[in-house]
Amino acid sequence: MNPCWAVARQTVAESLRMRIAWVFLVLIGLIVFVLPFSITGDSSLTGAVQSFLQYGLSGTAILLSVLTIFMSRTLSEELVQKQILLLLTKPLPRWQFVLGKWLGLTILNAMFLAGAGLSIFLMVLYIIWTVPPINAADEQSLASEVLVARHSIRFTPPDFDKTAEREYERRLEEGAYRDVGELSRERFIQILKAKQQAQWRTVTPLGRRTFRFHNVLCDRSPGHRIQLRYYTEIANYAPDEIFRSIWDFGNRAQGTLLYRAETHHVVGRFHTIPAPARTVADDHTLTVNFYNQDSRLVPGHVRTANVIQFLESREVELLFVVGTFGGNLVRVLVILMLKLMFLAAVSLMFTTVLSFPVACMTSFAVYACAGGRKYILESLDFATDDRSTFIDAVRHVGSSLIDLDTQTFFTALQESMMHVIVFVFGTLHYVFPDFGYFDPVETFVSGRNVSLVWVLEAVRDLGLVQTLGALGLAMLFFHRREVAEISV
Amino acid sequence: MVDSAEPVVQTAGLCKTFKDFWRRPRVHAVKDLDLTIRPGEVFGLLGPNGSGKSTTIKMLLGLLYPSKGRIAVFGKPPTDVAVKARIGFLPEESYLYRFLVAHETLDFYGRLFRIPGKIRRERIDRLLDMVGLRHEAKRPIGEYSKGMARRIGLAQALINDPEFLILDEPTAGLDPMGVRQIKDLIRKLGDMGKTILLSSHMLADVEDVCDRVTVLYGGQQMAAGDLETLLARQDKTLITTDSLSEETIDQVRRLIRRLEDKDIGVSYPRNRLEDFFLTIVRDAEAADVHTSGARGGGELPAFLAKPAETGAKALLDSLISAAERPAPEPILVETPAGPTDDEAARTVVDRLAREADGPRETDQVAETAQETIIPAETLGSREVEADRGVIDSLLGDADKPEDGA
Repeated sequence: MNPCWAVARQTVAESLRMRIAWVFLVLIGLIVFVLPFSITGDSSLTGAVQSFLQYGLSGTAILLSVLTIFMSRTLSEELVQKQILLLLTKPLPRWQFVLGKWLGLTILNAMFLAGAGLSIFLMVLYIIWTVPPINAADEQSLASEVLVARHSIRFTPPDFDKTAEREYERRLEEGAYRDVGELSRERFIQILKAKQQAQWRTVTPLGRRTFRFHNVLCDRSPGHRIQLRYYTEIANYAPDEIFRSIWDFGNRAQGTLLYRAETHHVVGRFHTIPAPARTVADDHTLTVNFYNQDSRLVPGHVRTANVIQFLESREVELLFVVGTFGGNLVRVLVILMLKLMFLAAVSLMFTTVLSFPVACMTSFAVYACAGGRKYILESLDFATDDRSTFIDAVRHVGSSLIDLDTQTFFTALQESMMHVIVFVFGTLHYVFPDFGYFDPVETFVSGRNVSLVWVLEAVRDLGLVQTLGALGLAMLFFHRREVAEISV
Repeated sequence: MVDSAEPVVQTAGLCKTFKDFWRRPRVHAVKDLDLTIRPGEVFGLLGPNGSGKSTTIKMLLGLLYPSKGRIAVFGKPPTDVAVKARIGFLPEESYLYRFLVAHETLDFYGRLFRIPGKIRRERIDRLLDMVGLRHEAKRPIGEYSKGMARRIGLAQALINDPEFLILDEPTAGLDPMGVRQIKDLIRKLGDMGKTILLSSHMLADVEDVCDRVTVLYGGQQMAAGDLETLLARQDKTLITTDSLSEETIDQVRRLIRRLEDKDIGVSYPRNRLEDFFLTIVRDAEAADVHTSGARGGGELPAFLAKPAETGAKALLDSLISAAERPAPEPILVETPAGPTDDEAARTVVDRLAREADGPRETDQVAETAQETIIPAETLGSREVEADRGVIDSLLGDADKPEDGA
């Protein structure tokens, strides 16, 4: 056996004999086995399952992340308790020791995560078995929108770049931009494009919009279905807050099946419309026409001019089943595992150079930064918007010191510190992984496919780049460390 | 493979300076240390606390890097993994995993040496037998007494059948039984051609087992050389014999006064407490008295008792070099001596007495022997024949009534 594996084996054995591991296991057990009996979601079976999956997976991921960081003390303990003095006299290269420790933590995490994943899967079956659906739609919704792995496709919008450019040329010929000063051509086209987009997303009463989807690689055999999921805002609410519309699936010219869905939906919520998969053309395109059927046309209803708006942030999407719930769960666990592997590597890296409490806190900071990377970057952008450069800020500090201007000094100091923070985090964010991006739980809970491409992306970024990078640094730091060094 | 021309350890101008938080040099733990340990010798590293012994050992093991100077272990840097495969190390404290049981501990260290499973299991059983902890092999190390943990520490140091064994305070925390066992073990391993570096405060232990020593003080080498040479004393002579009557002693005294014009002191040694203690423990073991502690260890495991394949040449070399060394004085000389010297002297006296008086019951003699210690000033340097002449004359005189008696 490679000494590296011996260290990994020993790390697992050590971790399993630490009380803290069992405390976290009990907490995970509480989440997985007690939570289903205490949450009801929106009282529907679908809601109960979704809430359980959301809290169960997120809770497990957080607890295992914290446990991983705590478990990095296995290395610092060996430094403090001096077992390392004996260990490194054996034919064990230092890099193999670090690798062995990481492997041990990874094996431990894999065991815990696999156990939690299997328990969650079984508990979902138990919930379905014991909790009755509130109606047939609830049962249908659970089967078609939660316990599946659906691929999602966004429609292909019209090419607004071209239409905006054509409009610009037309207006230019008409002399519309003769006295507009210094605004550039690009700026005019940008304004026109935004305007055209907004117009396209707004459907006037009795108006129509056509959504075209490409690469709809679904199973088109009879019996299989696709789903259209959409969200709308509405300008004028009807008293019953219901808007009526027609969705036509298929294209007569392409010889597909034609399917019409007349909907009476509550506004301001997501809705899913199922349709036969045979409405998709042979070239894997799907045409869907939306008609804003104004309530004025329906006898007995109050006449309102409903202007429908499709928001860019809540885009219309097409969904179709590409995999199973179980397979999807496995891919979720793989991504969660990759995050834990990164955390283990980072925690060990800090432990090779810092004492345990400091290393632990630093690892938590990295965990928090990785999780909130997107928000931190956004807020830093906001904080430094329209500010002077770092050099300017430092110059202000200097000049305020010379002028003995206290107020200016502190303002300039604050400004320069902000620049330092922005610079440091701006540099570090290239190193930190984006845990927000690699968060598959919400996708999974909504019955969407956690794609293999996404998993491979996580393997590349979290695994090969960031985890191996952190491990490499850990090995480098530990290689030169004098483990018996004393400071006097 | 050990080459007789190649020292196991060689340092040149070795220095180690410890620094403070601001990287300022504060303590010069080792200064200009030139050390050579030859294959097959038992080498003692002596010195008071803080003299640099442990720092030197840590540098030899690659746990500390020298501030200046060079180290070669088996001709390579101490950080070389191949070098570490040939070393066994018992640290000054038992740095073992408290949560692992004894068997797991040895198994773990065995795996680090890539010892195949079957051989590893056999060695673990043999080593546990050797250190007397086979019956406690399933207890976590954290529950062990210091001495028991020390025994496991020793076992892990031997798991790879090392060519070079580094023992840092090996007898610290051990009971007399364990101390005796360690000393016997060192002797046996030394006889097998293993190279052993022993660092200890227990000077008597070092004296019992070491061929050569280096004495450090303040990180510097103060003395070095063969123990025999360093401790040789020319101003006293020790003669040991079975108990003599007052009359004989008186005759001897008169004889020496007449021949050498010197007086003698006579004493009657007691049994050593160590022997007394070990007898009690062995009796208890024989009576199968229950204990959760360590028991008397077993024999040297077979895998250690035979010369390692790679060490065959080393053994041969050590035997050759032993043959080339000057033969020890074959007679009862040199004071003050520890037990080894006493035993050697007794052996010679017994042999000479047997030649004079005929065969005796050796065991009975050993149990009832009283020692007569005869200090003298010049006898130590005499040749064997001359000494034999003195003994003969002593015996001859004792048989005859003294003139005027």
